[in-house]
Amino acid sequence: MLNRLFMHPGRSGFCRILALLTLLVANTAHSQSRSISTAYGEVTVSGQPERIVTLYEGALDAAIAMGASPVGAVVTRGGNSTADYIRPRAGAAQIVGTPGEFNLEAIIGLTPDIILAPSHLNKDQYQLLSRIAPTIVPHVPAFTADTWKQETRLYAAALGRVREGEAAITRVEDKIRDMAQLLDSTLSPEQQGASLVRWMPQGPLMMNTGLFSATLLEAVGFRMDDAGIVKAGRPHSHPLSLENLHLIDQHWLFLATLNADGKEALAAARTSPAFERLQASRENRVITVDGQLWTSASGPIAAEAILDQLRAAVSAGQVQP
Amino acid sequence: MTLSARPLSPADSGASASRPWSHRLWQPQHCYWSRFPDPRPVLVNLGFATVLVIIAGLYLATGTLSLSLPEVVHSLLGQGSAMHQFVITELRGPRLLAAMFTGAGLSLAGCLMQTLARNRLATPGIIGIDNAATAFAVASVVGTGISLAPQAMALTGAACATALAFGLAGATGTRGYRFIIAGLAIGAISGAVTQVMLSTVALDTANAAYPWTVGSLNSRSAGSVQILGYGLALCYLLALLLRRSLATLQFPEAVTTALGVHPGRVRLGGLVLSVLLTGLAVSVAGPVGLVALIAPELARTFNRPGHIPVTASALAGATLMTLSDLAGRTLAAPLEIPVGIVTALAGSPFLLWILLRKSPDIRP
Amino acid sequence: MTNTTRYALLWLLLATVCLLSLLLGAGASGIQDAFAVIAGQGSDEVRFMVMELRLPRLVIGLVTGLALGVAGALLQTLTRNPLAEPGLLGVSAGSAFAVALAILMGASTATLTTLVSQTGALAGCALVLAATRIPGVGQDPIRLVLAGATLTGLLLSLTSLLMLMDQRAADEIRFWVTGSIAGKRWPQLGAALPSMALAAALVIGIARPLASLALGEKVATGLGHLPGLIRILVIVVVALLVGGATALAGPLAFVGLVVPFAARALGGADIRKTLWFCLPIGPTVIIAADTLSRLLAKPSELPLGVITALIGAPVLMVIVRSRRVPSL
Repeated sequence: MLNRLFMHPGRSGFCRILALLTLLVANTAHSQSRSISTAYGEVTVSGQPERIVTLYEGALDAAIAMGASPVGAVVTRGGNSTADYIRPRAGAAQIVGTPGEFNLEAIIGLTPDIILAPSHLNKDQYQLLSRIAPTIVPHVPAFTADTWKQETRLYAAALGRVREGEAAITRVEDKIRDMAQLLDSTLSPEQQGASLVRWMPQGPLMMNTGLFSATLLEAVGFRMDDAGIVKAGRPHSHPLSLENLHLIDQHWLFLATLNADGKEALAAARTSPAFERLQASRENRVITVDGQLWTSASGPIAAEAILDQLRAAVSAGQVQP
Repeated sequence: MTLSARPLSPADSGASASRPWSHRLWQPQHCYWSRFPDPRPVLVNLGFATVLVIIAGLYLATGTLSLSLPEVVHSLLGQGSAMHQFVITELRGPRLLAAMFTGAGLSLAGCLMQTLARNRLATPGIIGIDNAATAFAVASVVGTGISLAPQAMALTGAACATALAFGLAGATGTRGYRFIIAGLAIGAISGAVTQVMLSTVALDTANAAYPWTVGSLNSRSAGSVQILGYGLALCYLLALLLRRSLATLQFPEAVTTALGVHPGRVRLGGLVLSVLLTGLAVSVAGPVGLVALIAPELARTFNRPGHIPVTASALAGATLMTLSDLAGRTLAAPLEIPVGIVTALAGSPFLLWILLRKSPDIRP
Repeated sequence: MTNTTRYALLWLLLATVCLLSLLLGAGASGIQDAFAVIAGQGSDEVRFMVMELRLPRLVIGLVTGLALGVAGALLQTLTRNPLAEPGLLGVSAGSAFAVALAILMGASTATLTTLVSQTGALAGCALVLAATRIPGVGQDPIRLVLAGATLTGLLLSLTSLLMLMDQRAADEIRFWVTGSIAGKRWPQLGAALPSMALAAALVIGIARPLASLALGEKVATGLGHLPGLIRILVIVVVALLVGGATALAGPLAFVGLVVPFAARALGGADIRKTLWFCLPIGPTVIIAADTLSRLLAKPSELPLGVITALIGAPVLMVIVRSRRVPSL
């Protein structure tokens, strides 16, 4: 049948593509090939791939942190381009889709050496992508404190930039330590409770405490609390009814929207008297943050940017006992 | 038999009377039992097929990577470069097939339903079958604990909606209108249920499912396309077999019965085929609107009145769908406009024109 | 039961629903606590929830329900079509599209002007009126409804296209087009009220001429009314009401169908009676639906538009089956 023909191309065609791809990879190789363990089995990569396509905010961040310059990237969630915090350093990357939908033809057009994909990539998409270039899909548990580190290490191994990857992670760990010391001297134990919230027109979303920025806050000494309303494995709760707004009321309230400007989020929230009644709001302990960075991003550069913003908030007197 | 060569429907006699005599002179008269097959449908089908092939060629050649026509042909024959081969046989080819199958399926479903309800507005989309199939399929995607494949769920939804519409309307009613309004209500309820289900999942998941709920070919699964392909072939053959009996539905019931046709059974058969096709097509592409309405209309325009254009509808549907998806893929590249939005935008003015200018009854 | 008794009972029902809507919600506080607040006591926390969160919603629900019910009754009398409903005919969708466009151009729902919404509704109304003037369509209730459904589909597709163009606006628009009065406050109500008051004044003025127009154009002319002027005034009133309601609550389908239907069934077909009966029924429907939307998905809420569609679509079926629609 005709559709059979299209869906299962002749073995010869398949072999030829494989041969050609191997040839391509072999040409750029100047060191021995290595095997990377991914969610879809072992993937063989050799040398230091030059043309990198990243299909995930965290992969773009990690690749740039290791000194690579990806040629393709996806738009950040809720945005029309890459996230503001990384755009100056990702200028060369061409947009090849959204986090959920990739334009495979645009990816082919970039003739990538390697594709760095998100861990939730499904099997159908993987099979197509892996025909274009070796595709790295991390299999690390989502929403843990170590997720970003494990992903960065995997991407580093795939890109042949292990040393640069470790250096990037160490830089973040140093910053975390500094920040933790600073906060340790500032905050008493009962002042450490915090919640991270995305303010939406539907109502506020409580973010998962395993979310990237939440784990950083936890690491520097905050005690993140999601009031038990975020289901396991979900990035955030359902939009809360305003009548239940007290559930987000921790000592500190980190407030974001999908818009980059946290100030806008606060202005939107302030129009609601229910928000004004929160302890954190009345005592000026609402810290407005950039939603693209704090609720969609991950990776070493994002970590440094988040920690820098936190430090700025502390030194501006926003974070004080 | 004492029947004259032309159908006896009152509507038809009115339409023919208004036509100039000279036209009828060269037009082959429709002979229900003519010994020589009428060449016109064959010519029309050939015409539609040619247009489909041209647009399919364009579809394969156009995209972020532009290919020339010879390159497309070479790749199809297995002689192109590896990259072209991949683009044609792995990316555009399967999607083209999905577009053609869903277009043909929806259009065929529309043609059958319009014929048996004797109303050109009675298409699966307008009477809510699409929405119901989507609601059921979304239920399986969202994971409400029902462990059925989306295709099976979509089919169940389509069948439920049709049964409900029939049950609530009490048969098709005169001119099929009660049926349509019943379907409208069912469509609205299904739409609301879909929204409730989508609002209970994470926003990112809802955003990801969003293109599918307005009709998209980007996130189709290869398996459901294959099932649709087989279903389409089967339903097409059955529709061809059923065509002659369906044609008799245009006569008054007494005549139909006298011709040895059981009108109730014919209607049921047509309806089952229509529901089957809609359910399968929705499981591939989601609720793509208005193809089921416009494509049969197009096929009917070129064919002689009274002819039920089964093949032409399928070809026209495939053509329209392919063209719409081509537009959706290229207009906003590298991002995509879901094909359902393209067909809704392009088709709505046409539907309005039908509603406001023409009588919705099908003149046999 | 006499008409007067029925009427009194309807107002009693509305009062009960209002009370329940103050007592019940997604919050954790019990009914007794909320009751204590209404009785003038209760804790500060619960007082805030009842007076500052639920009361504004209640009042906005009241206004929206009044507006949509009356608009539906007027439009149905004008088009002589029991299925003519602002939501079904594309008036609400016109309004929603205008608002989506405004959101995309940078307005936020908080600062949204009622004017945008009402302009969109007026355009939608004008299209409906134009459609009824086309020979063959005006007399055929179902064709008009289908034309409206198509127009709605077209406008919703355009709205979807706008959402694709700007992901940032998409969440805001998507929330808005499903219809909700959660989090709406006095300022929004204040913005919508003047035009609604104008519409109310106009309704009082045109009720009698419209009733005579319902008996036929000749009757109306004979009684000294100007049919053309009445039509235009009715369209303006419907646009003001639907536009205002949409600005407050988003496009809510089927309310304008359910309310006049119930009003006709209970009060009789004369438009003046229907309008009187719409007054208690409209708010009852909206407030009951809004209260349900708060209870079904604690600690979150469902969109109000979903509930009204689930209530309204079956009523559409009942109307079609009840053979009140000619030519079915």
